[in-house]
Amino acid sequence: MSDQINHIQNNFKNLSKRAKILKKLREFFWQQNFLEVETPNIVSLPGQEPYLSPVNFLINDEKGRQYSAYLHTSPEYTMKKMLASGFENIFSICKCFRDKESFGGIHNPEFTMLEWYRVNADFFEIMQDVENLFASVGDMKNKFQRIHMRDLWQKFAGVNLDDYLEKEKMFSLCLDKGFKPSEDESYEDLFYRIFLNMIEPQLNGYYIVHHYPAQMAALAKLSDDERYAERFEVYVNGIEIANAFSELTDAKEQKARLVEERKLREKLGASVYNIDEDFVDAVDILPKCAGIALGVDRLVQVLLGCQNIDNVLVLPASKIFK
Amino acid sequence: MASISEIKKGVVIKHQNDLWVVTSFNFVNPGKGSAFTKTKMRSISSGKSLEVTYKSSESVDIVSVSRVNMQFLYKGVNNYSFMNKDTYETVDVDADILGDDAKFLRDGLDVIAVLYEDSVVAIDLPKKVTYVVKQAPPAVKGDSASGNVTKEIILDNDLVIQAPIFIKEGEEVVVNTETGDYGGRAIEK
Repeated sequence: MSDQINHIQNNFKNLSKRAKILKKLREFFWQQNFLEVETPNIVSLPGQEPYLSPVNFLINDEKGRQYSAYLHTSPEYTMKKMLASGFENIFSICKCFRDKESFGGIHNPEFTMLEWYRVNADFFEIMQDVENLFASVGDMKNKFQRIHMRDLWQKFAGVNLDDYLEKEKMFSLCLDKGFKPSEDESYEDLFYRIFLNMIEPQLNGYYIVHHYPAQMAALAKLSDDERYAERFEVYVNGIEIANAFSELTDAKEQKARLVEERKLREKLGASVYNIDEDFVDAVDILPKCAGIALGVDRLVQVLLGCQNIDNVLVLPASKIFK
Repeated sequence: MASISEIKKGVVIKHQNDLWVVTSFNFVNPGKGSAFTKTKMRSISSGKSLEVTYKSSESVDIVSVSRVNMQFLYKGVNNYSFMNKDTYETVDVDADILGDDAKFLRDGLDVIAVLYEDSVVAIDLPKKVTYVVKQAPPAVKGDSASGNVTKEIILDNDLVIQAPIFIKEGEEVVVNTETGDYGGRAIEK
């Protein structure tokens, strides 16, 4: 029997349950008067996240004119353009694409993302959404623990993160803890050395980790304590499921961060493209809002207890490219 | 020193003055900060487990090991006996070293033993192993209509797997030892 048909038969039950979870997710949002929106998968200017590799290809119009195109890595830019144009609470369930990731495990080059935004809201309301959403898809017994990133470091690494919010200090903390970072590592990389080795393996259970150091704000706005950004991540048994922000609405600051990220892409030897000025314009008129991106395949993995993402996908990359 | 991409199951790494066998590894790209590989390993000296995260740009000290063809003979109380196919010697391997892989062993199965300084530190199973079906409940009419296209079957080594409903007792089936999944009927020789 063909390998692909075997795969589908072996995972028949998971795939049937997956369909039902997707239906419940949609119902969860429709019941709260969210609109489901569709954004283009094919874009000319993908996100600038320094550590993501968008899939690049050429597309032709009917006259044979050729354009450099990318598959989006998330629907965020387009959804924010919609929020800037007057849409209010919106959600999207779509395929996203990322090159240079493993075929199987907790990655697949195409995966399903659930992204939603609430206007006139901050990230605490999104946390509540996450907790309600897990309950609505059937996971009632597990309660999330909300924890400030600083408390998490105190608890698992035994240090006060307030003292390590600068690159030099984080570098020496890494040395103290027995790591061997190289001189040119970014704050983020140094932070993750400790986080991934000392903290994440201990996150057994359901966690919402909130308030990231300002250096790791990404598209989040800073909190009242400006050393931290209003960003949170959802971890279930050590796997990251979602990433959320109170969205940055300062276009100047947004542009500056994108320029920095583009520079870092260049330095890292990643593909370089222009900044999406339409997106910067959108941020300029973005209403106060908060949003989140949640990996649906990983959510299904957690709900069904599957270690490998392949077991919740009809045909994972590992069965397509052999 | 070797690159992180060379890490795989059964590789022996020198880490903090101890030798460790890689038991599993997982590539993670969080999208924020660079990609890394989460590596679970077992100490050769103490048997204790450790999880280490390596950045993709880092290097590791991979220790050279030898590989020997062995055949599974029988299960003891806390160990498994194999025959070294070159020397015909019997070699006992601790149950801890096999871990969860032990459930895939069956009489006469050919495996590759990873040796470090003459002791077995890991066993590599073939990716696909053929078994005879010992027990398979008969398919019930209407099963596929209600979505039950698989059923639980028991193989000749007592391994339990999910298989399609058409599989019958006495047939030979292939199992993928990396996932524990049914991998099709054995091809007739």
